[in-house]
Amino acid sequence: MSIIRPFRADDLFRFNNINLNIWTETYGLGFYFNYLSRWPDMCCAAQHPNGRLMGYVLGKAEGSPHDFHGHVTALSVAPEYRRLSLARILMNFLETASDDVYGGLFVDLYVRCTNSIAIDLYEGLGYSVYRRVREYYGSLGLGPGGKDEEDAFDMRKPMSKDMYRRSVRPNGRDVIVSAHDVS
Amino acid sequence: MSSLTLERQIRPIYDALDSGSHKSALVTCNKLLKKHPKNDHLKALKALALTRAQKFEEAIVLCEEVLATKPTDDGIINALMHALRHLGRFADLVKLFEDAFKQQPDNDEFGRQAFFANVRAGNWKAAQLLANKLNKQFRNDRYVFWGITCTFLQANDPLTAPEMRDILLKLAHRLITACWKQVEVHPDRLYLHTSILQQLGLYEDARELLGTESGRFFCARNLSCDHLRREIMKAGGWQMEEGGIAEQRIVEKRDRNWLEFVSILDATFLPSTLHQSNLPDLAQRVAKTRDLFLKVSEQDGSHDRTAQLALMELEKLSVVHEVPSEPSRLLNLLKHYFEVLGDKAACYEDLRSYIDLGSEELHDWITLIEKTTHTPSSGIALRRSINAHKLLRYVLSATQLTVDQEGIRATDLVREYFEALPLGKDLPKLELQPADDLAILAAQVYVNMFVLDNAMAHLHNAVVILEYASKKSPQSYQIHLELVRIYRLLGAPQLALDHYRLLNVKQVQNDTMSYFILSRATNFSLAASGDLAYVSECLESSHIYFSNSQETSEFIVKSFNMEKYSQIHELVVFEERLDNSLQRDLVKIEHVRLRISHEPVSSELVDMELIELKFIFDRLHHDNRDLEVLPNYQPRGQPSFLSQTTLFGKEPAGGWLSIFLKIYIKVLSGASDLDLSVEDDKLLVGDRPRQSYNPDAKKPLMERLAVQSADELSELTEDEVALFHYVTDLTNWLDPFHNFLRPRGEATKLPPKNGHSSHDGASADGHGRKPDDAPHISEPPDSILSYFKNAYAKFTRAVTASRPIYEILHIATLAQEALLLFSICTKRFKDASIVRIHKLGMLVQHIKTLRASAIDAVRDIGTQLIKISELEGTSDKRKQFVENCIALQTHAEITHEYVLDVGKKLTESQRKVMEGVGRGIERVCKTPM
Ligand SMILES: CC(C)(COP(=O)(O)OP(=O)(O)OC[C@H]1O[C@@H](n2cnc3c(N)ncnc32)[C@H](O)[C@@H]1OP(=O)(O)O)[C@@H](O)C(=O)NCCC(=O)NCCS
Repeated sequence: MSIIRPFRADDLFRFNNINLNIWTETYGLGFYFNYLSRWPDMCCAAQHPNGRLMGYVLGKAEGSPHDFHGHVTALSVAPEYRRLSLARILMNFLETASDDVYGGLFVDLYVRCTNSIAIDLYEGLGYSVYRRVREYYGSLGLGPGGKDEEDAFDMRKPMSKDMYRRSVRPNGRDVIVSAHDVS
Repeated sequence: MSSLTLERQIRPIYDALDSGSHKSALVTCNKLLKKHPKNDHLKALKALALTRAQKFEEAIVLCEEVLATKPTDDGIINALMHALRHLGRFADLVKLFEDAFKQQPDNDEFGRQAFFANVRAGNWKAAQLLANKLNKQFRNDRYVFWGITCTFLQANDPLTAPEMRDILLKLAHRLITACWKQVEVHPDRLYLHTSILQQLGLYEDARELLGTESGRFFCARNLSCDHLRREIMKAGGWQMEEGGIAEQRIVEKRDRNWLEFVSILDATFLPSTLHQSNLPDLAQRVAKTRDLFLKVSEQDGSHDRTAQLALMELEKLSVVHEVPSEPSRLLNLLKHYFEVLGDKAACYEDLRSYIDLGSEELHDWITLIEKTTHTPSSGIALRRSINAHKLLRYVLSATQLTVDQEGIRATDLVREYFEALPLGKDLPKLELQPADDLAILAAQVYVNMFVLDNAMAHLHNAVVILEYASKKSPQSYQIHLELVRIYRLLGAPQLALDHYRLLNVKQVQNDTMSYFILSRATNFSLAASGDLAYVSECLESSHIYFSNSQETSEFIVKSFNMEKYSQIHELVVFEERLDNSLQRDLVKIEHVRLRISHEPVSSELVDMELIELKFIFDRLHHDNRDLEVLPNYQPRGQPSFLSQTTLFGKEPAGGWLSIFLKIYIKVLSGASDLDLSVEDDKLLVGDRPRQSYNPDAKKPLMERLAVQSADELSELTEDEVALFHYVTDLTNWLDPFHNFLRPRGEATKLPPKNGHSSHDGASADGHGRKPDDAPHISEPPDSILSYFKNAYAKFTRAVTASRPIYEILHIATLAQEALLLFSICTKRFKDASIVRIHKLGMLVQHIKTLRASAIDAVRDIGTQLIKISELEGTSDKRKQFVENCIALQTHAEITHEYVLDVGKKLTESQRKVMEGVGRGIERVCKTPM
C-alpha cells in the first residue's frame, strides 16, 4: 500500500530515510527545484499511508529532435520499503510520461558499474547497456571497487516510438567512452 | 580615451570575475576608476567584485550610487543585478528594473526583469500589476497567467488580510475564466484554474472543467492534476462516483495506488446524509467492497500487498462505523499477511496500526507469531524472524517489561544477530547487512532497560553491540543515529559527533537532522577551552539557510518562465518554511551561547546579535525537524526510543527558543546602546528578510519580553528555568541604569556598517542628563547571589550522587553562562568616568561584590570538574565497563580486547568533556571582565 503522488518541494524535509544511503546523493536545493520547475511531471514519490516517504524518482526529458528521450536522474527506495515493487512502479511512471507526454524515443539512465542490484533491476525492466562511461562518477573514496566504482553504464530502453529499437545495441558493455563525451 | 578603448579595458574585469579572481578584478576597477571616476559601468563592476570579496558595506554604497543614476545600459544593469542579488537587496533590484522599464517601456526584457524582481521579493501585488502592463504592451498569454498566479499567491499569502483573500480569489477567477476559451490549455494552466475554483469552493465548476476533453486528457497523464481531481471529488461529495472510477482503475488497469483503495473506502463509508440516491445499507456496501478487495488480493498473492491492507483498513473502519463484523476477520487478515508477506521489511510498519485486537484474538495472534523460528537459515527466514521480534515487542504489556525479562530479550536478539551475520558476509561493504535490525532492536531493548532502572551498564551494552554492528554495516544510518543518541546520554559528545559526521548530512538535511547533535550543544561544547568543533558544526549546518534565500526564489522565477504553475505555490511555501525554521534559530541561539564563551564580547558583537535575535523573536517558526527518521520499536503505550533518549526528557522547541531569546535579548539590550524602538532594517546587509506572519509580533517588544507562559517554561529543565529567573532579576535590577546611561537622541545613531561602534566616545554629558537624575541605587536582589550558590550546591550534590555526566555538565555550563551574562550586563559600569559623573559608585560596589562571589562559585565548579574528570578514563573505569558487558563476551566475535577498546574510547571521551568544560570555566573565570 503505497501512495503514488507527485514529488513536492516539501518532500525535501522528509526524504532522509531514503537519502541517508551511499547510492543516493543529496544535492543542493537548486538541483531538485530545477527538476520541479521544468519537469514536474517527471518527478514522483511513493508514500506510506502513515506519512513516511518510501522512495522517489526524478527525471527529465531532453535531447535533440532526432534523439529526444526521457532520462532517469535519481531513483531511490528506502531500505525498509525495498522489494515491494516500488522501483518498478516508479520507473513505470517515468516511462509512461516519457512515452505519452514527451514522445521520447527511449529512456536512459546512468548507474555505477558496481551497483549490481540496480543493474539487475533495470535489466529486468527491459533496459540494456548502451555504453560504459569512464570516470562518470567521482570516487566514493571507499576502497577497492576501483574503476568500476567510478565508471557508469549508460542504460537504455526503447519506447513505443522507436519501433525498430534503434536506440539500443547488443554489445553495449564493450563500447567505452569517456565522461566528457557524454555530458 | 574613446569608449571603444575603455570597453577593451573593461574586458579583463569580466574575465577576472568569471574565473573567480575578484582581487584582480578589484585592482583593475580601481585603476580604471582613477582615470574615469564617473563611469557607472566601472562602479557597478567594482560593486560586484566587492560583493564577491565579501566587502558588503563598501559594495552597498557603490550600488546605491549607481542605482540613483537609474541606469538603462545593459552592461551596468547586469553587473548591478548580480551584485544586488548576491547582497540579498531584493527591494533595490525591484527599483533597478522598474526604473529601467519606466524609461524604456518598449523594452520587454526590462519589464520581465521588473516582474521577476518583484517575484523574488514576494511582492505579489506589484508583480501582478507588472504582468498586466506587460500583457497590455506585448500581448502574450503567459503574462495573463503570470498575473493570475500572482493574484492567487497574494490571496494565499499569510500576510494578506482574511477579508481580502476572497476578493483576490474572485478576481483571479474572473481573469482566468475571461481568457480560458482563447488560450492554449496545458496541464499547469489547468492546475492553476482548478486550484482557484477549489479555493473558492466552486467544486461543480471544477468538476466540469476537469471533465472536459482536455481536462480528462491531462488528468490521465499528469499526477498533479489527477491529485487535485481527487480532492475536488471528495470535497464536492462525489465519493460514490470516484469510488466507481477507482474500481475501474484497480480492476481494469491493475492500478495499485493506495489512493484508489482509499476512494473505494470513502465511497463505502459515505455518511448516509450525503447519499444522493437510496443506496444499499452500509453493511451491504461493506460486504461488496470486501468481495472486491478479496478478489484483488487473491489475484495479487505475494506480488502486491495493497489489497490485503485495504481489507484490514475495511475492518478497522467497520469498527469505527459500528458495522457488525466478525472479530476473527481482522485476526485472519493479519495472519494471512504475515504468512504471505512476513518476509518483507515493511511488514511491521504495515501491520502495526491494525493490531487492535480483543484479548482472545490478541492471544491467538501472539501464539502464531511466537511459532516463528529464529534460526536464520536464509535471508527470508531472517526477515521473518526480525518481523516476528518487532511484532511481538509491539504488543508487550507493561507487566512484561521488567529489567530481567528485557534482559533475556536483549540476549536473544544479540545471539541471533551473530548467528545471522554470516548471511551477509559476501555482500559488498557498501550494502546494508541483513542482520542489522537485530542489533538495532537489541539496542532499543537495552535503552528500555536503562529507562527502567537507570543503570548506565545497559547503555554500555548497547554501544558495544552497536559499535560492532556499525563496523559490519557502515552504511546503516539507523545504527549511527542510535549511537549518537546513546553517546549523548552517556556524556560522550565527541563520539556522538563522530558518528553523526559519518552520516554525511548535507544541504537541506542539516535543517531536518542537525537537532540530533546540536540540540543543547552548549551542554557539551568545549568552546570555552578552545575546541570549536560544535561551533563549526553550528555554522556549517546554517549554510543551507543562505542557499535558500539565494536560490529558491530563482526557481520560483524559473517556474514562472517555464509556466509550471503547479510548483510555484509549493516553492514559495518551502522557502518560507526553511527561512523561518525552528531548528535554524535553535542553532542560532546555541551559537550565540557558544560564541560568548570563547570570543571577547565587543559592543559590535552585542549589537549585531541583538538585532538578529530581535528579528528572530518576531518570527513565526516552522518545525521541520525529522522526528521520524529513527524507527521506534518500543512496545505500544510506551515512550518512543527517541523520547527515551532525549536529554532531560525535554526536547527544545518553540517554547524553549522563546525563553532563551528573551534571556539573550534582555541581556544584550541592556548592554547595547541601540534604541530598540528604532527600525533596524538598515542594520542588515540584505533586505530585512520577509517578515513571517506572527500576530504576536505586533505587541511592543518590552511587553512581550516581560511575559512567559507555563507552556514555554515546560520545555526547560529546572536549571534552565533558574537561569531565566536569574536573568530576569538581574536585568530588572540594572535596566534603569542602562536606560539612564544609554546615549539618547542623535547619539543613538545606528552603528556604522563597518562595525566600528561609537559607544566608547559616548560620554555621559551632552545628552541633557543631569547626574542627579540617576535612578536610585537599590540593593541587588538576593536571587542573583543565590543563583550561584544554588548552582554550586546542586553541582556538588550531583557529583556526590554520581549523577549522569550530562546532568553534571548541565549545571556547570549553565553556571558558566550565568557568569558570562553577568559580565555582559555589567560591562557598561566599567567606565570610571561615567561612574564618577553619575555617582554610581555604590552600584559598582554591589556589582564587584556579586561578581567576586559568582566567580568563586563558578570557579569551584570548574576545579571540581577537572578533578572528577581524572576519575574517568582510568583503568578502573574501563574495567568496570568491561564487566558491565561481560554477558556480551560469550560471543566469540565480542572479544575482551574489543570491549575494552570501546570502553576506552567512551571513558576517554567522557574524561575529555569534563576536563575541557572544567578548563573552559577556569579560563572564563580568569578572563578580566
Ligand atoms: C535499486 C532500488 C531502487 C530497488 O528498489 P526496490 O523498490 O526494492 O525494487 P523493486 O521491489 O521494484 O524490485 C524490482 C525487481 O528488481 C530486482 N531486485 C530489486 N532489489 C533486489 C535485490 N536486493 N536483490 C535481487 N534483486 C533485486 C528483483 O528482480 C525485483 O523483482 P522481484 O522483487 O519481483 O524479484 C533500491 O534498492 C535502491 O533504492 N537502492 C539505492 C539507490 C540506488 O541504487 N538507485 C539506483 C541508482 S541508478
